[in-house]
Amino acid sequence: MYEIIEGFVEAARLIFTLDPDVMAIAARSIVISLTATILATLLAIPLGAVINFGTFPGRKSLINLIQTLYSLPTVIVGLLIFLLISRVGPFGSLRLLFTPTAMVIAQTVLILPIMTGLTISALSGIDPVVRDTLYSLGATRLQFLVNIMKEARFAILATVAVGFGRAISEVGAAILVGGNIAASSFGSSTRVLTTAISLETSMGNIPESIALGIILLAIALGVNLAITTVQHR
Amino acid sequence: MQRRTLFAVAAVMVALMLICGCTGTTSDPTPVATEKQQLRIATTTSLYDTKLLERLTPIFEEQYDAEVLIVSAGTGKAIEYGQNGDVDVLMVHDRAREDAFLADGYGINRRVFAYNYFVVVGPESDPAGIRGMHPEAAFTTIRETGMTDGSDVVFVSRGDASGTHSKEKAIWKAAGFNYSADVQGSGDWYQEAGTGMGATLTMANEKQAYTLSDIGTYLAYKGDLDLVTLVDEGDILLNVYCAMQINPEKYPDINSTVAKDWVNFMISEDVQKEIASFGVDQYGQPLFYAARNDWEKIGVPQAEVKDPIP
Amino acid sequence: MIELENVSKRFDDKTVLDSVTARIGREEIFAVIGPSGAGKSTLLRLVDLLDSPSGGTIRIDGTDIHAERKRSLSIRRMMGMVFQKPAAFNTTVTENIAVGLRFRGAGESVIQKKVEDALDMVGLAGYGERRARTLSGGEMQRVALARAMVIEPEILLMDEPTVNLDPVSVEKIEELVLRINRDLGTTIVISTHDMYQGQRLAHRIGVLMNGGFAQVGSPREVFTLPANRDVARFVGTENVVEGVVVADENGSSVVDVDGVRVRAKSSFSQGEEVCLCIRSEDIRIAPAAGARGLRGGNILPGTVASISPRGPFSRVTVDCGFALSSVLSWKVVDDLEIREGSPVSASFTVESVHVVRATRN
Repeated sequence: MYEIIEGFVEAARLIFTLDPDVMAIAARSIVISLTATILATLLAIPLGAVINFGTFPGRKSLINLIQTLYSLPTVIVGLLIFLLISRVGPFGSLRLLFTPTAMVIAQTVLILPIMTGLTISALSGIDPVVRDTLYSLGATRLQFLVNIMKEARFAILATVAVGFGRAISEVGAAILVGGNIAASSFGSSTRVLTTAISLETSMGNIPESIALGIILLAIALGVNLAITTVQHR
Repeated sequence: MQRRTLFAVAAVMVALMLICGCTGTTSDPTPVATEKQQLRIATTTSLYDTKLLERLTPIFEEQYDAEVLIVSAGTGKAIEYGQNGDVDVLMVHDRAREDAFLADGYGINRRVFAYNYFVVVGPESDPAGIRGMHPEAAFTTIRETGMTDGSDVVFVSRGDASGTHSKEKAIWKAAGFNYSADVQGSGDWYQEAGTGMGATLTMANEKQAYTLSDIGTYLAYKGDLDLVTLVDEGDILLNVYCAMQINPEKYPDINSTVAKDWVNFMISEDVQKEIASFGVDQYGQPLFYAARNDWEKIGVPQAEVKDPIP
Repeated sequence: MIELENVSKRFDDKTVLDSVTARIGREEIFAVIGPSGAGKSTLLRLVDLLDSPSGGTIRIDGTDIHAERKRSLSIRRMMGMVFQKPAAFNTTVTENIAVGLRFRGAGESVIQKKVEDALDMVGLAGYGERRARTLSGGEMQRVALARAMVIEPEILLMDEPTVNLDPVSVEKIEELVLRINRDLGTTIVISTHDMYQGQRLAHRIGVLMNGGFAQVGSPREVFTLPANRDVARFVGTENVVEGVVVADENGSSVVDVDGVRVRAKSSFSQGEEVCLCIRSEDIRIAPAAGARGLRGGNILPGTVASISPRGPFSRVTVDCGFALSSVLSWKVVDDLEIREGSPVSASFTVESVHVVRATRN
């Protein structure tokens, strides 16, 4: 019990003194997961729009497949990306393994299905009358899509938050393709909140783990709080 | 209005973290050059968990203007990374597998830079009663008492194909057991952690179990542990660390120059001194012995400890 | 202006429209009336290019609008449409109205001016900064009308725009429809299942039934001279009875209805099966004793079968061999001392009987 309390006290100290190591890890987590979320958003929204508004054979099965991929285990994604970017893999020559780029790729792949699926839900949730109204007001295909996105903006924002939350909280893929490296430069390190927590806990550094855990929790809650606040306006 | 404030606060926090993060890790006066050479090392966990590499890498980075990226994994995993060409240098401690790795042409220029001993650690109460035994006898006793009904004797194995795991298997063999048949899965007393040395020690401590550890990691963790050294004598407990380059003929775009620099750096006189003194002030004894003058004692050719790679 | 020629629309196996043909003139208000599910919305959607017809052609100023793929955007931009349930974009009222102008790349100052004018027109000046989703149904429908009108369409399509609105809002919308047509000369096609609304607004009415226009004509024509018994029923003709022409001379004929003879003006000849449509307002009721005072070509004795209330009136059904309903004020019912079973006479003029061919489906 005393150890836990001590852990929390130390954790508080690490956070409030803005401990450079802890802050670097937190910042790296945000940068990597944010990049992955932005990339996934840029892919998921057009993809979701094409699938939702398109008419092509196999559309229903594709949506089913995407929904199945919601539960893609993170280590499987990690393994897949590892196999692809390892030196002996097809993209080995890019030397991406154990880089933040690799983690961004893995997280992007990981959250792409759920973000695409939620984008489809967001768009299909738009009242058909809104669609008819936009067309009847003389929208071009592009104007139509832009305005549908505007109407679905809160649902899409929530999609982005879900994606970011999943990206920043996953550990399996991050440790497999990132390698949990603490290098001397910010950009070469691949140690993020989740992998650091995993490492510090296994090495018995409970205060660091708690501090990192609190930050991770704060980020996850903060993002969702921000989204809910915007939505409830 | 409320939303703006919220965003502003969030933005400031992120910015603050970024600034602290960047300045915190790049506090050295020379700014990081983007074209800096990167050296990727796959290392056995003991070298990492003892923080020996943490001590050595800044020196190397400054001397050679390179950036060192370390992936810490068991020897088995590290060898796999080496085989795939995902790293430039391997630092491991499993002579037999190193030989195979070299023979297969994946590695070149092995140099031995340090050694120490493995120890069998366990709870102070020593329920199996192995204190002072020879390693083989101690293992036999642990197995026997562990398999008795109602016993609380537990042995935690690394179980991760690491160098330490190899050594453990070698001891079981020397004690006359078939590892897979007689030890693995022979009862709840034998548990495989599947993780690094530090984590395994933490786990053994939680379970008040026996485990095999290199002395370096054990000493580094000793402060947090209730485990004590029970067996520390026996030739079989010798633990030899080497560094080697990944063969650039297998992977032509590998960073072989910096890799060579690193291996030579490890056997250089200064670093050898550094290794020999590492941890003395903190633990009262060294975590590693320098290999430089003890090549006979550890049974490797002199060239492997002294001759820099040309 | 708009020509519909044999337009049909099938959804999977269900035929909604089957050979719809009509012409709608420039600056006309044309009401499409018909029961629910008759395909009114579908027809309007086809005109607005929101759906493609399964067959037939729709021409606007001579152009087959569904054949001109390249011009479909500019064709669609000639039209504005107001839907039964208005879609409120989740933003301000001003932005809701400005959408169509933004699509056309209008400048900010133009947008501001036009939106203000449009808000003025629909009587919602000062509502610009309100969020559209906070408006009442009637207000939102007016915003939808402003949104459709701000782009100055040549044709305004309105799909049952007043369903679910309170009477005051209905009145406002109807007033706006008339004003837009009068002041701006916009051609308006409005669908409704309320025949009285059609009557109030339209220059011409098309009665859409069973997949096609059963009748197209002025409101007066449709109400007084329904083309067939279904139209008669739909436009509220209470008495529709079947009979056979037994004598004809000089544009008037005698029709046998279940053994009772009814005189009517018609050009049907002897032996033809017909339907007689008699509006209940045209039927007078008198006590049997006072039958002498009645005039008109038809005086039929009978007994009162039922009296049921109908707003401020009573609907009195008389059995005179076949059932005939009339509408009387309460006071008249009291004065005449009519009760169920009272012997009475029902009378109506020859001219008030509209004869159509009997059609059996």
